Amino acid sequence: MIFGISPEDIRVAVAGVLLISGLVFLVGSAIGMLRLPDFYCRIHASGNSETLGSMLSFLGMMVYEGATLTSVKIAFVFLLVFLANPIGSHILSKSAYKSGHPVWTLKAKDADQAIGAPPKGHSADEPVGNLDQPEEEN
Amino acid sequence: MEAETRKSDCGVVGSPVVHRGFMMVALFLFWYVLSGRSDAKFLVYGAVTAVVTTMVTYPLLLVPNQSQTRRYFVFGVSPLKGLRYFLWLMYQLVLANIDVLLAVTDQELAIDPKVLKFRFTADNPVASVVLANSITLTPGTVTMDVTSDGIYTIHALTPGAAEGVRSGNFPAHVAWLFDEEDDFLLIDDGSDMEVKEERE
Repeated sequence: MIFGISPEDIRVAVAGVLLISGLVFLVGSAIGMLRLPDFYCRIHASGNSETLGSMLSFLGMMVYEGATLTSVKIAFVFLLVFLANPIGSHILSKSAYKSGHPVWTLKAKDADQAIGAPPKGHSADEPVGNLDQPEEEN
Repeated sequence: MEAETRKSDCGVVGSPVVHRGFMMVALFLFWYVLSGRSDAKFLVYGAVTAVVTTMVTYPLLLVPNQSQTRRYFVFGVSPLKGLRYFLWLMYQLVLANIDVLLAVTDQELAIDPKVLKFRFTADNPVASVVLANSITLTPGTVTMDVTSDGIYTIHALTPGAAEGVRSGNFPAHVAWLFDEEDDFLLIDDGSDMEVKEERE
């Protein structure tokens, strides 16, 4: 007990900080999901950006739980997410790539605006860039 | 039975006895963590289960290489090297995640999606799985395709992620982890579109 703060309080505070910083990354992932222009970019947001978010959240839970068997079980769940998450992202992007889904690039966006199309925002319901036209149009 | 065992041991890299022992200990520890009970009855059940599971699944965990000359144990990397690789991967993951978070929340959306291609061949098929999985796990890069002759197609979201793929850091570390030769070769750095634009 120093200044009325017990080790218990410190542990809960550390767990809270970890959970909140995990939340920041998870919210960033959701923002990316809405703002990014095409399918491939959104895979980055939905699949990958949440890895650090879930890592910090799991760490927070482990700190809150203390050195018990439950913490070890949480670590196993965390390892499972780490193995399964990239497999899902890879299969989605592979099937899109094999079926010839066009890749959005900065150049495609610039070309779209150069031919006098109204500037489009990065919103979810509105495709950005010439997604519907083939790449080699010029 | 004897002949069958000898046949399946032929061409295995490393010692099958060590592999089986490692698997049994790991499975028994896993059992103990999940059950959380240390009564003799549960420990004996766990030990028997670990031994039976190892005997049944060990032949399934041997993956042949492309030329079918050798077979590799899936968990055959040295645990110390594996731990070091895992920590390095975690460090890369934190850096890349912050990079992607800043790019996504940027006012102008600081992204520059590119498709890169590189070649990395490894005799051990587990090495290509680990490489593809590590690249996909790192935010900003997704492995879109891996061919059997070792051509990796990567989609990179931010300039920093593309730079990370170009530097060949991941193949170098995977080659170190599996004691393979690092023959990283960048085939397509994703900048051909800009070249085309300059010609116009």
